[in-house]
Amino acid sequence: MNEHVNPVYLEDKLDEIRADGHLSYRSKSLPTWCPGCGYFSMQEGLTIALNRLGIAKENAVVVSGIGCASRFPFFVDTYGFHTLHGRTMPVATGIKIANDALSVVAIGGDGDAFAIGGGHIPHAARRNVDITYMVFDNGIYGLTKGQTSPTTAQGFKSKTTPYENLDMPLHPLMMLLSYRASWIGQAYAGRPHHLAEMMTQAIAHKGFSYLHILSPCVTFDKTDRTYGKLNMQVHDLSEDHDTSDLIAAMQQASAAEIPALGVYYVEDRPTLSEEMDEISRRARNAPPIAE
Amino acid sequence: MEQPRVGTDIQFAICGSAGDGTIAAGDIMKRAAALMGFKVIAFDIYPPEIRGFGKCISRIRISDAQTYSLKRHSDVLISLNDAHAIPHVGEVRDFGAVLFEDNSIAELPEGGHISAHIRAAQVPYGFGIREISEKATGLARSRNIAALGYAAGLFNMPPGIFHQIIAEKFAKKPRAVTEDNTRAFDAGVEAAARVFKLDDVSVGRPLSAASGADAVMMTGNGAIARGFLEAGIQAYFGYPITPASSIMERMAAALPREGGRFLQTEDEISAIAATLGAGYAGARAATATSGPGLALMTEMMGLGVMAEVPFVVAVSQRGGPSTGLPTKTEQSDLNLAVYGGSGDAQRIVLAPTNVEGCYRCAGMAFEIAETYQTPVVLLVDLYLSNRFETVIPPRKNIFAPKPRKTPKMGKGEEYQRFRLTESGVSPRSIPGEAGLTHTVTGLEHDEIGHPSDRLHNEMNAKRHHKLLPATHFPGLTTQKRFGDSGKVDVGLLGWGSTFGEILETLYTAQGQDIRVAVMKVVMLSPLPVDEIAAFMDDCTHVLVPELNFEGQFANMISGATGRPVTRLTQTTGAPMLVDDILAELHRLIDSPAPPPTSSHRTAEGVRA
Ligand SMILES: Cc1ncc(C[n+]2csc(CCOP(=O)(O)OP(=O)(O)O)c2C)c(N)n1
Ligand code: SF4
Ligand SMILES: [Mg+2]
Repeated sequence: MNEHVNPVYLEDKLDEIRADGHLSYRSKSLPTWCPGCGYFSMQEGLTIALNRLGIAKENAVVVSGIGCASRFPFFVDTYGFHTLHGRTMPVATGIKIANDALSVVAIGGDGDAFAIGGGHIPHAARRNVDITYMVFDNGIYGLTKGQTSPTTAQGFKSKTTPYENLDMPLHPLMMLLSYRASWIGQAYAGRPHHLAEMMTQAIAHKGFSYLHILSPCVTFDKTDRTYGKLNMQVHDLSEDHDTSDLIAAMQQASAAEIPALGVYYVEDRPTLSEEMDEISRRARNAPPIAE
Repeated sequence: MEQPRVGTDIQFAICGSAGDGTIAAGDIMKRAAALMGFKVIAFDIYPPEIRGFGKCISRIRISDAQTYSLKRHSDVLISLNDAHAIPHVGEVRDFGAVLFEDNSIAELPEGGHISAHIRAAQVPYGFGIREISEKATGLARSRNIAALGYAAGLFNMPPGIFHQIIAEKFAKKPRAVTEDNTRAFDAGVEAAARVFKLDDVSVGRPLSAASGADAVMMTGNGAIARGFLEAGIQAYFGYPITPASSIMERMAAALPREGGRFLQTEDEISAIAATLGAGYAGARAATATSGPGLALMTEMMGLGVMAEVPFVVAVSQRGGPSTGLPTKTEQSDLNLAVYGGSGDAQRIVLAPTNVEGCYRCAGMAFEIAETYQTPVVLLVDLYLSNRFETVIPPRKNIFAPKPRKTPKMGKGEEYQRFRLTESGVSPRSIPGEAGLTHTVTGLEHDEIGHPSDRLHNEMNAKRHHKLLPATHFPGLTTQKRFGDSGKVDVGLLGWGSTFGEILETLYTAQGQDIRVAVMKVVMLSPLPVDEIAAFMDDCTHVLVPELNFEGQFANMISGATGRPVTRLTQTTGAPMLVDDILAELHRLIDSPAPPPTSSHRTAEGVRA
């Protein structure tokens, strides 16, 4: 084709990135992740999403558990709480309940979410607390140097399953769908632009949004969830998927070994704060309850 | 037996089956006495299986001077069910009265009637409780109120006040309920008018000037809830557990009306986690639990200490370990409350000793937590949680929050959330405040808050030193000495609900020519070590009575002061008896003085 294509100069591109404004959401600390770790995509994705949504730094609170993924709050210039292993959901709930004006984003790994923290997720989802939960699933315990997690594939060998992991892995999307999280989507660390878009939608959703992110641990998983394998397997949800159809969402989620990327389910229902305000209204109109 | 007091000091015990309205009758009695202007202490015991036909007892001590515990011996026993009441006849003092049904409807086996158990020195009042009730209302159901009327008549208590309380109590029921009960009450009074009265047992008129209208009858848990509400609590998160649930239920009813938020969480870990989250975000937030729940909460308590987050945890102890004795009182979670968690995680622990103390400590807990940026534990036990006392709250709310000050930054200055200051307290910003963003963490951190072990020693010192001034927090009694001043034979150190019995012991011992003093310690962490050590300097023997097996407070005191103490411990599920403390006191006086020990270490640094 003889169409004239303008060359892209690095200087211009950098100017464009700087002018965009999302860099101002980065903190002065550089991420401590291993080179090549999928988690780098979360810094880019979340700063872009906050910038696009025009959320002031001081009104964003990033809450995390413990793990490699959970190190994230230190790398953005918002309010942050690096809490305990598995406890992002209740801490984030408390923050949101204390101040509705805050945008609360919870971040954690697969172990943080579905092993030690697994008991909290259904309750955050059913209450529809207006927060966003982003789980970075590398199918392994990264921070503690490579043990098996609840999403590790059968047959995987790790330091704690030296003879092979025989346990059936959990299916996070199916779990969240049955908990009726009011926004459920999946993204992949190897597709940063899509990830940023999904993060933006998840945060913009009113209610509990759950974003599952497939992310390779390049240090402790050389065989299973690698970029090479994932790049071959990931695909988009079909465009005619009806996001208001819970059963269709479950069918899509269970259709392939690596479920498709995209938005599975969206539902508009009252948030926990809205319910609490309604209870307050009723309480004020009712006679006082005796001690 | 306790010394008789001048003026009114009379204890009623009402005993019956769960279906007899025993607790309801007791409730009317204590509210009426409070309205008359008396001081009241009351404690109800009912079976865990509320719907069964288990035994219920309501004990109500009515006095014109403040008292601090229930008496071992009641002055009056009202039996609504003889089978349950017979074992309690013995607790009635000599010349005390036993009121019972004397028209049994069924044949009784020998010894089955209560009259066979009344001692010669006790005064029996048998009357037709059922008959009075049936004549007045056509039903036997108001036996409890008829008996109450009989007691009121016998001891000259004004019926008008009872009418008022009965009307209040049944205000939500159809009017006929109030009318029936009033008629049953009056019929009881009427029946008592015709009997011989022993003037040894009378209620009389209150001596105190306090107007009964200002006095509020509260349980310890009710007082904690009230203190929280007056302090402007904004968020409460909890998980039900005996004996703390009534705090949660009160918050569920009252908080939404005040525009606050209440959430029943999925477990205690999430209850404290959400409380911590809300505290971090700037709200006055609290949770309440008992020992098993506190055990689950300890990891979050450590995070609160490390990340310097203010919030309040009320803990009502029951028997332990593990699920233990859910409906029995004990003081065995002291170690857990003070030390529970990993690392050196000092927090503030307040243990009020009576219902008014519950109210005050709860009212001030948030301000203390915010001042020192730390979790505050409010430690009580079942006996204090559930017992009723009259409290006269101040007319004006003294616990309302003061406006928050946002940290001010100089030009170009970098905000340091954990700056090492002289007091150890760093400027704290909360989400929403611009220019002061930061991340807090449970990892050891530098002054900015970034993970780093470089300043671990300094940060540990900061977290401990910043709490030391709390032992002199303005307006809060953190310790107090009572009794003889100067050198004493025996000094008693007490904490929590047991202090009531300790104080009663003091008053009894003072009539016995013993030099004795007592000290209550309300702040258990950090300990007011200097005051405790000064008190111990004055004592030949130091006795520490408490309701646990190991002597947890005694261990803490002797650890902090380096001196021997004598332990008096008990885990029967019941409060300690004044007689038992008194007996130990006499045993100590008769025994040789303990060997001298090294003088006490003035605690500059870490205190228990
Ligand atoms: C109570 C508690 N138990 C165990 C640990 C140790 N630990 C830290 S991170 C982690 C697992 C991390 O795995 P994951 O959540 O998948 O995060 P990743 O590192 O893979 O991002 C464990 C077991 C801890 N910090 N706290
Ligand atoms: S260990 Fe794995 S998950 Fe952790 S930073 Fe390195 S690559 Fe990423
Ligand atoms: Mg992981």
